Amino acid sequence: MQRLSKGRKLLKTFLRNRTSFIGACMSLALIIIAIFSYWLAPYDPLKQNVYHRLTPPEMIHIFGTDEYGRDVFSRVLTGARISLFVGIVSVALGMIIGTMMGMVAGYAGGKLETAIMRFLDIMMSFPDEVFGVMVMIVLGPGMLNVIIAITILMIPRFARVGHAPTLGIKEMDHIVSAKAIGAGSGRIIIRHILPNIFGDVLVMSSLWLGTAIRLEASLSFLGVGVPPPTPTLGNMVRVGVDFLASGPWVSLFAGLAILFAVFAFNLLGDGLRDITDPKLYAR
Amino acid sequence: MKTIRPSLTIVILLGVLLCFGVQPTSAAKDNVLRIAFDAADITDLHPHFAHTTQDRGVVHLIFSGLVRYKPGDIGEFVPDLAESWEVSRDGLTWTFHLRKGVMVHPWKNNPGYELTSEDVVYSFTSAADKNKSAWAGEYAGMQFKAIDQYTVQVILEKPLSELLFLPKMADYAGGLIIPKKAVEDLGEGFKSHPVGTGPFVFKKYLPKEKVITVRNEKFYRGTPKLDGVEVFYMPDMSSRKFGLQSKELDVIEGPPSQPWVDEMRALRGVEVDVFGPGEAGVLYFNMAKKPFDDIRVRRAIAYALSRDEVVTTIGKAIAAPVFSQIPNPQPGHLTRDEVLLRGKLEEKDYLYEVDRNKAKKLLADAGFPNGLTTTVFMTERGEYAVPFQNIVAQLREAGIDVKVTVVDHPTYHHNIRADMNTIVEYNCWRPTADVRLTHFHHSDSIVKTGKKPITNFMHLGEKDANGDGKVDSVDYQIEVARDLLDSGAQKAVWKETQFKLLDWAVSYPLFIKKFTFARRNNVQWGYDLKSTLILSPQINELTSIK
Amino acid sequence: MLAFSIRRILVAIPTLLIVLTITFVLIRIAPGDPAEVRLGDYASKEAVEALRRQMGLDRPMWVQYLEALKGLLQADFGRSIINGRPISGDLKRALPYTIQLTLFGIIFGALFGIPTGVYSALRRNTLTDYIGRTLSLGGLSIPSFYLGILLMLVFSIHIPLFPVVGGGDIHDLADNLYHLFLPGLTLGLVMTAYVTRMTRSSVLNTLNEDFIRTARAKGLSERKVIYKHLLRNALLSIVALIGVYSIILTGGSVMVEIVFSRPGLGRMMIGALKQRDYTTLQAVMIVFATFVVLINLIADLIYGLVDPRVRRK
Repeated sequence: MQRLSKGRKLLKTFLRNRTSFIGACMSLALIIIAIFSYWLAPYDPLKQNVYHRLTPPEMIHIFGTDEYGRDVFSRVLTGARISLFVGIVSVALGMIIGTMMGMVAGYAGGKLETAIMRFLDIMMSFPDEVFGVMVMIVLGPGMLNVIIAITILMIPRFARVGHAPTLGIKEMDHIVSAKAIGAGSGRIIIRHILPNIFGDVLVMSSLWLGTAIRLEASLSFLGVGVPPPTPTLGNMVRVGVDFLASGPWVSLFAGLAILFAVFAFNLLGDGLRDITDPKLYAR
Repeated sequence: MKTIRPSLTIVILLGVLLCFGVQPTSAAKDNVLRIAFDAADITDLHPHFAHTTQDRGVVHLIFSGLVRYKPGDIGEFVPDLAESWEVSRDGLTWTFHLRKGVMVHPWKNNPGYELTSEDVVYSFTSAADKNKSAWAGEYAGMQFKAIDQYTVQVILEKPLSELLFLPKMADYAGGLIIPKKAVEDLGEGFKSHPVGTGPFVFKKYLPKEKVITVRNEKFYRGTPKLDGVEVFYMPDMSSRKFGLQSKELDVIEGPPSQPWVDEMRALRGVEVDVFGPGEAGVLYFNMAKKPFDDIRVRRAIAYALSRDEVVTTIGKAIAAPVFSQIPNPQPGHLTRDEVLLRGKLEEKDYLYEVDRNKAKKLLADAGFPNGLTTTVFMTERGEYAVPFQNIVAQLREAGIDVKVTVVDHPTYHHNIRADMNTIVEYNCWRPTADVRLTHFHHSDSIVKTGKKPITNFMHLGEKDANGDGKVDSVDYQIEVARDLLDSGAQKAVWKETQFKLLDWAVSYPLFIKKFTFARRNNVQWGYDLKSTLILSPQINELTSIK
Repeated sequence: MLAFSIRRILVAIPTLLIVLTITFVLIRIAPGDPAEVRLGDYASKEAVEALRRQMGLDRPMWVQYLEALKGLLQADFGRSIINGRPISGDLKRALPYTIQLTLFGIIFGALFGIPTGVYSALRRNTLTDYIGRTLSLGGLSIPSFYLGILLMLVFSIHIPLFPVVGGGDIHDLADNLYHLFLPGLTLGLVMTAYVTRMTRSSVLNTLNEDFIRTARAKGLSERKVIYKHLLRNALLSIVALIGVYSIILTGGSVMVEIVFSRPGLGRMMIGALKQRDYTTLQAVMIVFATFVVLINLIADLIYGLVDPRVRRK
């Protein structure tokens, strides 16, 4: 009973907090557009019409056409879906694997902890773009590989989020007593530790979803992203900057979509942090 | 809280901006030509290894050959380091008479010296050494002799026609003359400090940035009009474009694509050069893989494709259809009329104009009434991927589903050479019809299993190509043609060979695609730029900036 | 302090070893062969094999690995297998460009980000705060290459103020700075966004601390509270975090170097990856990792300067 009312209270705060509310609306809109992009897109995003290249926005192509005469509006919608898919899947995977690793390391302690955390530290000592490109060169281009690369980049971040609080939580009385009555480690981690850090993890997921979408664009720019003709927001911007004089609309709309998406998730994350951070919440 | 004002921030920002901005943009008005290539860096400036467009762009400023391709036109040879040459009656001995007073560029503390037959012999001997040259195969079985200071003899094992021999002596690849003393003095360092006899002298190499050359005051064809040439390496297309727009660059390499040409032409003060010879795009079918062992399947693919649509995809300003394996304008090619006429005479079809119903019928005959599916690797590089995307789209309409796995460019080349593709798109220029036919169609060149595996992806010469159950080969024709001295007869044999290839549908010639560079309109090449083997505009003593 | 630094540097050695190992393994798993890349598509298999021998790639893996290891320990990375030039020379040339760019970004970010962040936090929930936050979120959202291209378009093409090609002459300071400004601004703006955000939240956190309340209760002037107590304490976490964000900035510098054709480390890395230049790539990765280790070390040292408690530990 008490838990439910606490949840309701949180939801109320969430809705009242302007940042999180706007962020949530933007994110939701984005996700809805992405899910229904197939039905919303007026044209096949892959359909080429080379006789109708780089035409400016007009009634039949509201965002204009690209260098193959494809409809930019349809491509932005589809691209948003794919970029969002790549972002969400890789952040989710990174979250699951990373948080688990962090919690296990924190809970187990000793050599295992040192080994895991040292290794993750080393992975963090490469800048994202550097390590991402390297992974992509090894795996080769492709959507699945982009997901793998971003997941690998996300793992150490989430591991840190999972690790630090675990250290404190595992010394708490109810955990110690649970251990005393013989609860298994797995059970303790899932039932007792995870709920305590879930808020943090969720906040960071939202923030890093923005990072993931931006990373997809960066990898595309470096020539190792999702290969054409599949549209992603990143590779559309990449290709579009080559036609800034004859068709600025090609990169403009995809660029705005990236901005919108990253902005939305960051806003949502900020808002979530405001309400989950008890210090700020108190005021 | 009045100490930190946003307005203060803005004032500082503007101040900083102004401090930096007082200098005018360095649209330098000096007489130096700045050209940017689509590459991250040089690979090798030793002319006998340099094979990338960006390397050749530098190498051809610095080196020269005995004879040279007429600037801007690869159809003709003119004398250069050699003033004249003659061939003995048996066709085995070629004698070159060198120009006098050709000075090798100065290097380090050495002031340079006069180039003599000793250097020429040294250079060719080095070009024939597999450890010192990537083109050793071209010079196999040749001997080089210095008769006197200004006379060099080349002695062949078997006579070669002028059409096949002169390119080996010309200013391209192994034919570029490296001076003995400089090479021996610089050793390993020669590949990043090239020393030659050309119109420009190497001055400095800044890794990942540029190569600086200055004019060769003592150049034997006359002092160059430019003070120097700087060659930049800029792998990002839009950066090159911005550089050209801001006048920091005079010439930039472009991708061969219509939208890029249109984009450049939309800029003020910029002109686009489209020049040959161009790369021929051909589809090769792997007969060692089912179902491409079946001639009906191969013909079905040929009928499913419209050359015009592929050409339009690349752009009509850049690409044109080709109808034989040797592309127009290379000697030995077949024109559309020749192919059409021969077909009519023999009641056969060598042209394979698009006919999707015929394609479907052929597929059904071959046992694929519902179409077929195949998986191929494709490079991510645009010049291959762009036409291939269109090819895939066209084949789909005929019921042929090509599943594409995109890999990076080196991997693509690795995989197709490892016999992994069923259909191979290959875009390239080869110096002669003989080289092309040998590399792609001789049984020695079969990938993996051949004696000298290169690019015979079809397994031609190892498999049955026409469906009669016997192995088919064109090895004999290729070898016969190579040894013919009369270039007319030679061309005739090449043409016959290609009719066989077309009949067997082992490969499908699609397009020839030219090269594109954009320049500021005050740059003048000094010659008519129609075609060049180095795939970038040659900058020579006549090139100027108005 | 010295002992602390030495210990930190010693701890970094295993890190570098692992970085070398990871790079060594990954690049060799990657498809494609340096000899094939170098000779191009015209070359015969024979020639490729010959070159592989020349490059030393036919030797057993462990021999190659030991050699790389030896190179790391002697701080001599040997020669590039693609062009045969000494790698140290190329690194020496590339490093200043990257360091300049990153430093410019960090300093610019700190210079503009910290005041904006403090201001935004003190004016929490006012219009200025919202504008500041929106702009800084925007800065986080825009990919740095896109920002670079837009800046180029405005300040080099439409208003021809700054050059777009290259890093300038490293020996000519004016030319050098002139070429540095736009790429530096690109990274600087991104950095400003990060710094503003974290300064704001760190100031907000500190505002809530007891000692600020005590100070206010004591009747100290607002000015004194802010300067003596608030900023001093907030600065701590800001310094620590600038270290973290510098790593992000290093990643951004790779793309900015490509957009502005600066001959720095990032371009060296991308080039080495594309050409499968094993030895150069190993060296560049080590340098990147060292860079990160050093940045963290410097952040820690500054942290120690600002907060004596750390030093004593």
